Amino acid sequence: MKKPLQVSTPTDTTIVLTRAFDAPRRLVWEATFTPELMRRWMLPPPGFTMTTCRCVLRAGGELEVAWKSDEADPAMTLRGVFTEVIPHERAVHTETMALGSGQVVGSLVEQHEFFEEGGVTTMRITQTYDSKEARDGALASGMDEGMEACYQQLDGVLG
Amino acid sequence: MVVDRSPRLDHVFHALAHPARRAIIRQLSGGERNLTELAAPLKMTFPAATKHVRVLEGAKLVRRRVVGREHLCRLDAQPLKEAMLWTESFRQSWEARFEELDSLLDEMKADEQARARRR
Repeated sequence: MKKPLQVSTPTDTTIVLTRAFDAPRRLVWEATFTPELMRRWMLPPPGFTMTTCRCVLRAGGELEVAWKSDEADPAMTLRGVFTEVIPHERAVHTETMALGSGQVVGSLVEQHEFFEEGGVTTMRITQTYDSKEARDGALASGMDEGMEACYQQLDGVLG
Repeated sequence: MVVDRSPRLDHVFHALAHPARRAIIRQLSGGERNLTELAAPLKMTFPAATKHVRVLEGAKLVRRRVVGREHLCRLDAQPLKEAMLWTESFRQSWEARFEELDSLLDEMKADEQARARRR
């Protein structure tokens, strides 16, 4: 049951990620929003380590994640507030990413939706950015790292 | 670098947003074709096909050379590679996270089953 992650851009300011997980919705929900469990799967960018992870899962509850690097602590922070929480179904939160210096690098609204069918849960994440430029920037992030590896892979595909 | 790249990618995505232009790209993946050959399977007038080729040229996906009275088109896949790469690296970084989530969920399921058995 391997279903690859689908990434689509239905509008100029959104990115939609859709992925199926071989587990009931209740567990996917728990793994997605429980701080000790988020530490397991929210992989940091290369060279970063997660130092803080808080997630108060109710409308008005706060989300806070921080990472450190060899150069700075914090090197990057993510802060947001939940605006809607329907357990096991839907959660919406704001999200602002900032550098250690406090300089904001981007903000978005992230909506998580969970659909279960036959023990398989599909999670759909809709990210809505402030502008097309911000959306494009997010899509392009990480383009430099592993670029060479991707090129080689694509060379194989495109011939 | 990323910002500079973006307007060009806009051209590429716009160029790929029309089925006729994707059909032209598919045809050209088989090698160089002249405009008449490209227009024929599209059931399109010659000027209409030319217009689509021009959009592809603008995105630097197609290069055209004139030999006598013939306009020969060929595919340049480089911008296509960049466009795929652009979203592909984003996809891969999320996929890596979701693979961790897969193994976490497997553990959570196993834990629940173990607890249920003990009861």
